[in-house]
Amino acid sequence: MTNKTTEQHFSEINEGDRFEGTPFTPSRETIKRFAEASLDFNPLHFDDNYMADDFGKTNFGGVIMHGMQNFALITRTLTDWLMPRGGYHRRLETRWLSPVKPGDTITPKVTVSEKQITDKGRWVVFDVAVFNQRDEQVASGRAMAEFPDELTIAAPLAAAE
Amino acid sequence: MQAISTGEFETDFWKDAGARQTWDQIVPGAPRDTKPYTLTKEIIATFAEAMGETNPLYFDEEYARKTPYGGIVAPPTIHILLMFACTGTEDWMRSPGTINASQSWFYNVPARPGDTITMQGRALDRYMRKGRLFVIHDNVFTNQNGDVVCSGRGWTIRPQ
Repeated sequence: MTNKTTEQHFSEINEGDRFEGTPFTPSRETIKRFAEASLDFNPLHFDDNYMADDFGKTNFGGVIMHGMQNFALITRTLTDWLMPRGGYHRRLETRWLSPVKPGDTITPKVTVSEKQITDKGRWVVFDVAVFNQRDEQVASGRAMAEFPDELTIAAPLAAAE
Repeated sequence: MQAISTGEFETDFWKDAGARQTWDQIVPGAPRDTKPYTLTKEIIATFAEAMGETNPLYFDEEYARKTPYGGIVAPPTIHILLMFACTGTEDWMRSPGTINASQSWFYNVPARPGDTITMQGRALDRYMRKGRLFVIHDNVFTNQNGDVVCSGRGWTIRPQ
């Protein structure tokens, strides 16, 4: 944390500002850990025989990473950028465009697309795109963060009163 | 780190698969059966670690106490775990082959260790498009004080 106020941080953010997340390479081991931590044991992520089959019109040709691992990677990219600036992560919307498989490396890229001041808040809107190692986009998203003077919403009850 | 999954959680999603509602049976608007789930520091730490989080806010009480959060909180993504933790083995989100197409989530107060989280969930809509069967669902998670933690919508492609 710096000594700047949240308002100062907010004023220094500009439309078009960009930042990237830490690249992530899923493996069968990370998929297993994700499943154990999230309780999502869908065979899409484990069963090679099952994944050799077609799914209606889709054939994945092998096990795939949990889409929500991608969601978590995007969230981490945003919160790691927001927290030192006093920003509070408010919203994330994502679409999965193509599956991610063990051995792929994915990197979220974020662009500040909009800033707005409402009656009660300062807001930043982000465009998110996640790319794999072949520069194919695997996910798209939009996010919003709020930059309050004080983070009362996140404070424990006793302190907030 | 200890795995969160305990003996009481069925990790074989094929088991009871026949008891779960298919696209044809899901009733938009009908609530899903849910049960409260209590978070602990260990669950939050294990979850955060598996999400790739390194922020001490999720792991280190002494650090977290000095932040505006006033103590350890769960990462916003904790709803990923809560959706499965608050539903039972017959819930249709466990149907093998369920494909996550899209998600949107809004975050209110953070979840904390000791919080008992309640889920309200339902399908909102179902439709077919280009040969695929879709369901839209929404979930709202609240803590023991009645504060909303987060609310979300998801689009899944149903197995057929």
